[in-house]
Amino acid sequence: MWLWFSKLGSPKWFYELSEKWLPWLIGAMAICLTVAVVWALLYLPPDYQQGYTSRILVVHVAVAGTSLAFFPLMAVAGVITLVWKMKLADMVAKNAAPLGAWFSFITLATGSIWGSVSWGTWWEWTDSRLVSMLFQFFLFLGVISLRSALENSETAAKACALLSIVGCINVVVIKYSVEWWNTLHQPASPVSLNGDSPNGPEFWIATGIMILAVYLFFTVSLILSTRNEILVRERRSQWVQDIVAKKTGAGVRQTV
Amino acid sequence: MISAIEFSSFSEFLNMGGYAFNVWAVYGLFFVFIAANLVAPVLKRKSILKEQSRRLRQHESSVKSHS
Repeated sequence: MWLWFSKLGSPKWFYELSEKWLPWLIGAMAICLTVAVVWALLYLPPDYQQGYTSRILVVHVAVAGTSLAFFPLMAVAGVITLVWKMKLADMVAKNAAPLGAWFSFITLATGSIWGSVSWGTWWEWTDSRLVSMLFQFFLFLGVISLRSALENSETAAKACALLSIVGCINVVVIKYSVEWWNTLHQPASPVSLNGDSPNGPEFWIATGIMILAVYLFFTVSLILSTRNEILVRERRSQWVQDIVAKKTGAGVRQTV
Repeated sequence: MISAIEFSSFSEFLNMGGYAFNVWAVYGLFFVFIAANLVAPVLKRKSILKEQSRRLRQHESSVKSHS
């Protein structure tokens, strides 16, 4: 168990494993994304109230749901960094923050574009769901600027871990906001494939595939940026220098 | 479950039942979001490799001149 754990924390191990996984993840992402988008844009029947704007919700629900995974992920990575000083966990946490900000922004933008038709308003300050999601967006910006403001990387990792734990509280608020305060944003419709939900089974299957696609995209993007981080932070180690030499043809001296 | 394509003509598809702006703005934004967050790390990887290979070469030449 401990051997496995310390292996998992090794940047080299992660770099080599992700190299093998990436083609499969990218392939699965491309397939899910294509199926979900084609289905949503060509086949999904119009909603009896929303017309074709219900197609917006396929994207909105998938991106919004995934955006809630970031703070728990960053908090877990933060605890691992604080307790076991695992370098890899901090690299993941660092690169998750900007991506999380993107996810929150796209959630707000797509929701706003949908609301402008269905609610007749782009924004409503009194709605708890909207405001707590906006707060999440600012929390991501906070984590990013906190890290860049603190020079000492260990202090930065600690501070970001603490802020990420606070962010998890906000995730709970976002999740239950529609039930605690009933203002503008509707609660999630019951998921059902038997046609006894306001949305037909077609909608849920399309959304399900889209959620899978967005999660795969999130994984791929995070792996790519974490690999970059490894190349920078481990640049003095022999194995990274070997990769650089192999990829660019520099430093062939060792073999001669 | 999939009965048929909802539209009978391409212009009808573009029109999205009168919500062309909203539907296409969201899907456009979604694609920019996905493309940006996949292309940016790939470009960054290229620049990192380039920069580090430059350093390696520098290091190499300084080692040679000392020996």
